[in-house]
Parts: sequence; structure tokens; C-alpha cells
Amino acid sequence: MGEEKKEGEFEPKIIGFTCNWCTYASADLAGTSRKKYPPNARIIRLMCSGRLDPMFVLKALLNGADGVFIGGCHPGECHYIKGNFYARRRIAAIRTILKQLGLDNRVRSEWISASEGDKFARVMTEMAEDLKKLGPNPMRGKIL
Amino acid sequence: MKGAELGIEDLEGFFRGLLEKEVVDCLVMPHVAGKNIAYMMVTDPKRIESSPGKAIFAPSFSVNAAGIVKGWTVANKVGLVAKPCEIRAAIELVKLNQMDKDSLLLISVDCAGAFENQVYADHSDEIGEWLDSGKIEELKGKGIELREACTICDSRLADVGDIGIVRLNGDKVVVTGLTNMGEAALTALELALEDKEIERKDEKARIAEEAKKNEEALPKISSIEELEAFLQDCIVCKNCRDVCPVCYCKECFFDQPLGNPASGDLLNLAELRGAIGVPANQLFYHLTRVYHVSTTCVGCGACADACPKDIPLTRYYPVIARKVQEIFEYEPGKDVEEPLPFVVYEEEELEDKLR
Repeated sequence: MGEEKKEGEFEPKIIGFTCNWCTYASADLAGTSRKKYPPNARIIRLMCSGRLDPMFVLKALLNGADGVFIGGCHPGECHYIKGNFYARRRIAAIRTILKQLGLDNRVRSEWISASEGDKFARVMTEMAEDLKKLGPNPMRGKIL
Repeated sequence: MKGAELGIEDLEGFFRGLLEKEVVDCLVMPHVAGKNIAYMMVTDPKRIESSPGKAIFAPSFSVNAAGIVKGWTVANKVGLVAKPCEIRAAIELVKLNQMDKDSLLLISVDCAGAFENQVYADHSDEIGEWLDSGKIEELKGKGIELREACTICDSRLADVGDIGIVRLNGDKVVVTGLTNMGEAALTALELALEDKEIERKDEKARIAEEAKKNEEALPKISSIEELEAFLQDCIVCKNCRDVCPVCYCKECFFDQPLGNPASGDLLNLAELRGAIGVPANQLFYHLTRVYHVSTTCVGCGACADACPKDIPLTRYYPVIARKVQEIFEYEPGKDVEEPLPFVVYEEEELEDKLR
């Protein structure tokens, strides 16, 4: 995985919030099926994407995370029936705010079911690549 | 829509009537206080001032009056006489379960824009009781400027709440019932009601266009670095939160140890990050607050008025909040029956806003 890493190359730090029932399980599946993907994400498991308070996203970014990933069950398949519907509205709102500040492209959410280990690996790979192109979070290292 | 045309001098009888006929138990309304305009809560009909038109239309903004009745749990009926932005905030508070609509009679009055109350007090003789666009320009020439929030406000006509008091030319007003509760109140006053269609579409369009133009002319905050610079003088006093009519948490996160770290907590944070700004969480506070008020901000500008460091917060809170309101096609304070965006959802929506 990291074998071709160049010295001094920027490695983005991603904070991932994944729901217990779908995306966290998909990460598990990606692992057990030995899918390769870059190890940039630090995953925090929530019971539901509806548990995601958009303040988590803000705090991660202000503390220097280069990206924030949010994963939940596909709409209509939430373990708690409608948690991800509410999550979707909150994520859209916080991304709209961040868009005004040029930070929205550091926040990505995806619906990944427990059987989609492939998709999890693909999204992680894409996100790491996109963030490498974007460069470090401008808030990193600031005295905030 | 039912309404009645009155002379401006008849408003005294109108407000007295609301108390005498027990339509409301008390009125929260503006009154003349020296050179200034302030709110009073009045229960005795005899204490209604002799020309209430002077105070209710006066272009002076002190507090957002919705904040006065926020969180009340009383069975009494409160009549709130205020500018449209304040009435819209009250409607948002009803939707946030901070007030019981049945115990509120909301009376909006036409607004032509307002001055900060200290500016109004200093120049009340020149400003007078009512503004038109010529007067606004004339005053601007003398350096007496409207509040920035008022210049970008596109809904300042009395068409929200239960009753609207529309100002016509030549010291005439039209009192209209906008809801069943409003019409019932007017009926109880035995006013000669007739069908009044006061749409004022052209005027609304003109105001909206002007507001948009003014908003576009304001300096923009377009990156996180610019926001950081914009807020650099902030001392995290949280006045903007305290005066905000739609900030309503019983205990604010930023008053709790996690949001307002002190002592050992702060030392731990400094150790973790090497260096942190103090007072802590300046940027985090404003980013969280803009999210919290994003759907409900009515753009009244009370935050900017209250900032002791004169940070023009009108360029931040209402401007960013409107972007969020646009994606939900939601206008705060417009309709008491329309649900808040965060408590409802569509099964298919917003997928283009997530990644």
C-alpha cells in the first residue's frame, strides 16, 4: 500500500464518520476481502449517520483534518428507517455553508451498504487522491 | 383578506380596543422614550400613548422584540407589535416550540428600514417618524445611514403575522387581518371591515431588487481565511448569540466545558495542538452558530448591532444563512404551518449537495 510513497509527500488526514450498520460494515468487508485502499482515513463509528452533528465536521476541519468522510446506509435502507434522511439535510446544509468558505470539497458523503466493500475501497482511494491534489487544509497549523 | 382603512390617529383607539375588549391581555409595543424608541409591555389601556403611530413606524431598531417573548409558557395572550423581521422571528420561535402560537397575536407594521437606536436618538428630529426613499438618500448624504441589515432586507412589508398595519401615503393606515385569529381580533374591535387586497407586488419586487443590489455590493467572505480575518477582532463575548431572536438553546454548547474550555482543559488543548487561540473557539463558535441559525435566520441584524467590536456580522450570518435557505426553498417566518427544513425530508433530494 504505502510501498511507493515518496519522501515528504503530502498524506491527507481524513476523519471518517461511518454508520454502524452499513458503511462501517462495508469497511470491514473491504478488509476481509483484502481490497487495497490508502490508509488515510481514521474511522469513527456512529450508530447512524443521523448521529452526525455537523459540528463534528467543523471541529475536524478546524483541528486540521484535510478531509471529512461521512458514510451511511442508502436512503430508504436506514436501520432506523429515516436517520439518513435527516442526515442528508444536515450534510447538505453544512456543505452549503462550507462552500461559501471554499471548504466543501473536503467533505464527502456516500451511501455505502454493508455489501459494498468495493465501493468503500474505491471512495477511500478517490478521496485520498482528490485531497492530495487539493493540498493540506488551510486551517492546519493555524492558531485557532 | 379583510381590513379597514384608518387615520393614523385612530391607532390609539385600535390598540386600546385590543386591551379593552380583552383580545389580548397585554401588548408588547414600541413607545417614545425621550429621543428614542423603546419597547413597553402594557396591560392598562389608558397607558397606550396618544399617538402610537409615532413609535410603531419610527425607523429605530433596538432589540428584536421576538426575543422578549422567547420561551414564555403563559396562558395569557400577548400581542406583539413589531417590524416584519421581528414578527418573522417570532413565527420561527413558534415553530421551534419556544412559544405557543395560541397565546400570541402577531401584529406586523410596515418598515422602510431602520437606524440603530442610538443613531436614531442622536438624529430623531431630522429622521422623523417615517422614511421614504428620498429621505433615506438625503440622510445618507449627511452621514446618517440605515442599518446594513435593513439595506439588504427584502421582506419589510407588513404581510406577516396575524394582523398587518400598512402605511399609506397621507397619514392613512390599513389594518388587515392576515389569519383567522387576526380577522377575529379585528371583528372584536367592531371595525368596519371590507375586502382589502393589498398585494403590493410591484413594491415588493422593487424592494427585493434593491436589496439584492445592496447585498451584492457588500464585501464578500469567500474563503475560510477571509472569515478568519473578518472575525479577527471578535472577543467571543457571545453578544451576537444573546441578542439573536432565533438562537434558543437553554444551555449553549459554548457555555459548557467542551465549548468554553478553561483551566486544565485549555492546557490540555494547548498541549495537543502546540498553540491555540484564546479566548478559545472563536472560529468554531461562529461556524457553529451560522449552522444553527442557517434555516431560521431572519436577517434582522441584531447581531451586528450588538457586537461591541463593530464587526459587521450582517455580512456573515444572514448572507450565509440565505444560501442554506435557498437549497431548502425555505423562507423563515413566512408561514407558521410550513415545517422547519430539518424536521422533514423528501425521499429523493439533495444528492448533488453531498459530495
